[in-house]
Amino acid sequence: MKRPTERGGTVTSLRQALSLVKMGAPMHPIFVHFTIALTSASLAFDALGFFFDKPSLTAAGGWALFGSAVMTLMTISTGLSSSTRAPIEEGEARSFLRAHMALGLIFYGLLVAVTFWRIALWRNGQGVSWLYLTSLAVVALVMTIQGYLGGELVYRYGVEVEQSYRGLPEREANSSPPQLTSSSPREVAASVKKGENVA
Amino acid sequence: MTGTSFIGLYAFQWIALISVALTMLILGDALAGHYRSGFIFRSQYMPFVGGGLLIVSAITAVVKPETAWTNLALRIAGWLAIIFGLVGFVFHHYYGIAKKPGGYKWLLHYLMYGAPQLAPLALTITGVLALLAARGLAGEVTFAGLDLRAALLALVAVALAGATLQATLLHYRGAFNNPLMFAPLTVPVLAIVMSVWVIIGPNEIVLLAFTILLWLTFLIGFVGLGMHLRGFGRQMGGLYLLKLNLLEGPPAWAPGLFTGFAAVGLIAAYFL
Repeated sequence: MKRPTERGGTVTSLRQALSLVKMGAPMHPIFVHFTIALTSASLAFDALGFFFDKPSLTAAGGWALFGSAVMTLMTISTGLSSSTRAPIEEGEARSFLRAHMALGLIFYGLLVAVTFWRIALWRNGQGVSWLYLTSLAVVALVMTIQGYLGGELVYRYGVEVEQSYRGLPEREANSSPPQLTSSSPREVAASVKKGENVA
Repeated sequence: MTGTSFIGLYAFQWIALISVALTMLILGDALAGHYRSGFIFRSQYMPFVGGGLLIVSAITAVVKPETAWTNLALRIAGWLAIIFGLVGFVFHHYYGIAKKPGGYKWLLHYLMYGAPQLAPLALTITGVLALLAARGLAGEVTFAGLDLRAALLALVAVALAGATLQATLLHYRGAFNNPLMFAPLTVPVLAIVMSVWVIIGPNEIVLLAFTILLWLTFLIGFVGLGMHLRGFGRQMGGLYLLKLNLLEGPPAWAPGLFTGFAAVGLIAAYFL
């Protein structure tokens, strides 16, 4: 569905920019980046700290994981809020959404469990182990699958995305994008080989 | 206070916090169920009164664990939750089965489609949990002739048994249409057995097996929450028709009880 919502021209002033601030914008895509970044950073810091024996890196990994466990609460709540605003008919997109919703809470359960594990390690004065790193890698893998499903929902099916920009005239006319040469690069190359004037 | 501390809170402060979380989960599903039936009896407001008092008093007890009045308030709220839960159980049984057309002749039908028979007892369980937390916070070491650790483990076994039984009935109603609907019948049942084993004959191997089963039960709760959310998505309109599908879909918060009860068991195993 095409819903152009752009009404004015190019934004040239702060006042004009402020008038375009839309508080109804979905928050889920913002928070999801904290979850992905912090969990990935935790795995990376922990792995580096473990292999190079750098306690400061594993400490950073622990704090990143803790941050992820807290921020993911916001990710889940904004995701649920987004799904209540998505009038999706039954089909592929709904299937993706269902899988995304189910896997989201499963991922959070794993994240909470591994966070408590990490806190227990820290409390007992122990470092991370192979088993811990493997478990965190599994959590990161689940997060990757979850992120892929969410990405498909937005970029393939356009959930909560408004086609609000002004399209080029060619796009409006439903034609191909303008060509820079009259022939395809392969045809141009063939003409040059034959010694023809391609200009 | 009895037990050791973890992230700045002692074991029984954690138990009190978990009783808050469990009560909120129970009240969430009670609200949907009672709203669906239209709050036709005033008694349908009871769990919100009892549960609300329990939440407030438990949070107060966590914040001020060594103050006498907060401990007394938690005990009173715990007893009220126990009583309200038992009264709810009788009401659910009477109005959900006995008074229905056909009564006990249609027992299986009403067990599946009537008021959930065991749901009010979850409030009773949180009431007992609050009493145990109050005793632990006051430095007492026994409850009903058992030491507090054994009492908590016994409570976890009973609670998981009830949750599993109720889940089995409702998943049977749903024809176990997804293989994950068998999950409550797997690890939690083993955790119940191991819980009893830990009370009767504790040793290191049994304790290790028990904690692994409890962690898996903890995760199964989250799997259930996710799958119930997926269940709403399978209803016509999904979460876009939020109010309707919250009433008609699976109980949103019920699987979280497995996580909460497992967390209680883990605290008893690690910190008491």
